[in-house]
Parts: sequence; C-alpha cells; structure tokens
Amino acid sequence: MRIFQFLAIFFIAIFALMGLKYGLGLSNYLIPPFSEIWVLIFKKYYLFLYPSLNTLYVAFLGHLLAIFLAVTVAFFARTGSIFANLIKTAAYNLQSYPVVAVAPIVFIFLGDGLFSRLLIATLICYFPLLLSFLGIFSEPVKDVEHFFKQTNRLDSLTQVLIRCYENLDKIITVISGSGTLAMVGTIVAEFLAATNGIGYVIRKALYQNNLAAILSSLLFIGLCSSLYLSVVEFLGAGIKKRLSG
Amino acid sequence: MRLLAKDITFKYKDSDQSIFENFTLSINGPGFISIFGFSGCGKSTLARIISGELSPKKGQVCLESVQKILLSYNTERIPGWYSVETHLRSVIEKEREGELKWLLKEFGLWDVIKKRFSRLSMGQKNRVNLLRYLLQDFDCLILDEVLANVDEPSRNHILSLIKKRYPEKLFIYISHNVEEVCIFSKEIVVFPRGIRLKTLKKMKGLDFNGERFPERELLKKKVMEAIGLASIMPQ
Repeated sequence: MRIFQFLAIFFIAIFALMGLKYGLGLSNYLIPPFSEIWVLIFKKYYLFLYPSLNTLYVAFLGHLLAIFLAVTVAFFARTGSIFANLIKTAAYNLQSYPVVAVAPIVFIFLGDGLFSRLLIATLICYFPLLLSFLGIFSEPVKDVEHFFKQTNRLDSLTQVLIRCYENLDKIITVISGSGTLAMVGTIVAEFLAATNGIGYVIRKALYQNNLAAILSSLLFIGLCSSLYLSVVEFLGAGIKKRLSG
Repeated sequence: MRLLAKDITFKYKDSDQSIFENFTLSINGPGFISIFGFSGCGKSTLARIISGELSPKKGQVCLESVQKILLSYNTERIPGWYSVETHLRSVIEKEREGELKWLLKEFGLWDVIKKRFSRLSMGQKNRVNLLRYLLQDFDCLILDEVLANVDEPSRNHILSLIKKRYPEKLFIYISHNVEEVCIFSKEIVVFPRGIRLKTLKKMKGLDFNGERFPERELLKKKVMEAIGLASIMPQ
C-alpha cells in the first residue's frame, strides 16, 4: 500500500514537472523530456536499482546498530542515578547537533568506505531512537510493576519488558520513523564523500546537471524506503499480534 | 500480631495541606479488619504508608509479629504477553500448585486461565489479581478495593473463603461498600469526613465467616453506626 501511495505521488510530481516544462516551453537541458526519464527508469534501471539496494543494505545495518545502541544506553540510563542523568543530559544536548556537520570529520578519519556510511547512518537515526527508548524505559507502568515490586520479583529485565510491551505501538512507530532517517543518513553520507550507493549516483548526476538521473534515483530511493518501512511495519504488527494473543 | 502507625504526619509533595497530622492507629491481628470512609479521605494513602510504599514526613509504622506486608489494589494488571495461567505459574511456588488449582475453581476462574488478561472482564481481572497475592508469602495483606468490579454473590463467597482459608493472616480491607465492611469485618476503622486526620473511630463488625448470615436488623444498626461515624467532621 505504502509503495503504491509513493508511486502515485511520484508520477503526479513528474507529470506536474512535465506540465511546467511544456507549459512554459522550458528547454530539454533544464527539464529533460519524459522519454528520457522513461528510458532511465525502465531500460537502464540497473544504474539506479543496484546502488539503491546497496544504500538500503547500509541503511538497514546502520538502523540495526542504532537500535541496539539506543536500547543498550537507554537500559543503563533508565534509573535515576547520577550516571543515568549524565547520559540523558548528554543525549539531549548532542542530538541538537547536526550530524551532517560532523560527517566530513568522519570521512577525514575513516575514509570514504562502508564504515563511514554506516556510522553516519547510525548516528542520524540513533538520537531519536535513544530519546524515545529513554522515555519509554524511564516511565514506570505502575499497575503492572506493582505486584513484582511488592513480591521482590522486579528485576531489570522484567521492568524493561513490561515497559516495552506497554509502549509497543510507540516503539514500532519510532523504529519505522527512524528507518527513514537511516536511509536519509546513508544517502547524505554517500552524497558527501562516499564512492558507492545512490547518494553517490545523485552527486555524479548533479555534477553533470542530469535531472533525469536525479529523478530516476529519487524513484528508486522512494521504492526502497517504502519497501523497508512496509517490512518494518509488517514485522511490528506481527510481533504485536503474537504478543497480545 | 500488631501493626501500629504512630504519630504519622504526611503530605503529598504537590499539596499544600497534610492528610495526616500526628495520626496514630493500632490494628490487632490476625483477622479481617476493614477501613471505611468516603472517597478521598486518605484510606489508600494510609494503606501505602503502612505497606512502606510511602514514607511519612514524621512518625513511623511499628510491626509486632508481622514480617511481610503486601498491598494490592483493583487496577493492577498482569503483563500482557502472558496468559493468566503462564503468569500465575511464573509467580507462584511449585508447592502451591494444588492451592492454586483449588483457588482458581473457587474464584470461578478455571475456564479463563488460558486467556490473556486483557480479554477478561473487569471482575475476572480483580479476581486473578487477588488470587496471585493470596499465594504469596505474607503476614498482612492490604486489599484496597480489590473486588470493586466483582458481583456481590461472588464477592461474598470470596471474602468468606479468604477468612476461612487464612485465619492466621491479617487482612486490611479497604472498601466503600459499608454493608460488606460491616458483615465481614472483625473491626472497622472509620475515616471521618475531612482532612488533617489525627484520630480515627473504630467499631466492631459482625465478623461473618460464611456460616450464619447476620440478622437484618443488627446489620442495619451497624451500617447506620458506620455511616454516622464517617460523617462526623473532625475538630
């Protein structure tokens, strides 16, 4: 459904662009003809599909890493201790700092390979995840936890499981949302300095002033993002259904 | 078995006025003791102070022959990913399996043990919650409106059953249901209307244990007495 929605919006935008081109008599140099876009999308799709899949793969790894990091940090920061408050303050302050501005430093130190792309993708989707997990893990579910507390059965794992279950919808939403951010982060990293992925394709197209290639890249990015989000949401709904019986 | 809340002064952080000021209450167990009063008079706050969940600004709770106090209330839930049976088995000692089965049948819960908690009616949820507390180690169990959503015949059956089955324990039962409180309690602690409580009124209950229901006239008299005491404005 999400993919069809995206395709509908994409082609409406393309037709609007064509309307603008032919309405205002703009040159092929500024806005390429529809046939050129058509050829790139359907005949030379491999120029965009494989880099998009490569980007999706890095975004997926970065997303997983960010979830793992956010859950781990939030787990240790959920208590009201000085250490926990320090982590919370650091997280709130650091997330206001644009990761894109830090990205060149990452490339300078780590080069333009996979690791840099992965790190930037992770950093971009990590903070929203961390803030959400911090909120969820720190908020007691009194009506469920009370019994375990009274009977001295409330260990850390039980506490976190209860809080996760009670906030399952919120967790699924934030994980889906941060999936988009992971994709964005990877593309930004590729656009800045990498030599792989769809961001790199867009950068090359920008230097060649090739709008048809940029539009084709956008289509494949959208398809990959929609596919990824659909899978995450499907898995989330499945997990929720299974857990709630 | 004695529980003494001595010179308690308590105020919630977000409130200007204290609920208790140098307040003292003594409860002698074992048996079924009720706390009765109008809404918002501080019954649940007192329960939380006695159980140690809240710390008073001044005063202390002294215990004699009471090691473990548990507090249960009616909106408690079990983790949603468990069925009733799985949860109960995970929080109950193996040697109490027999008692668990017996209580499940007596509480009318045998047919719903495979279900998730969220699929149960409010009354069933109340019963499951009470049941898991009864199967824990405790000397004193505070029941704060735990059967609020259970129908009257079932409630009467459960209260009679608890009294018969656990005569060596102290139960502190908090309820708005004056008739129920008068019927089942050995002693009733009445919260008068108002704030800044210093003392509470006490009266004898009818201590019904499921064998011979009290006479209508006697019950009526007790109910009037409890309502009368609860309506008095403290000085």
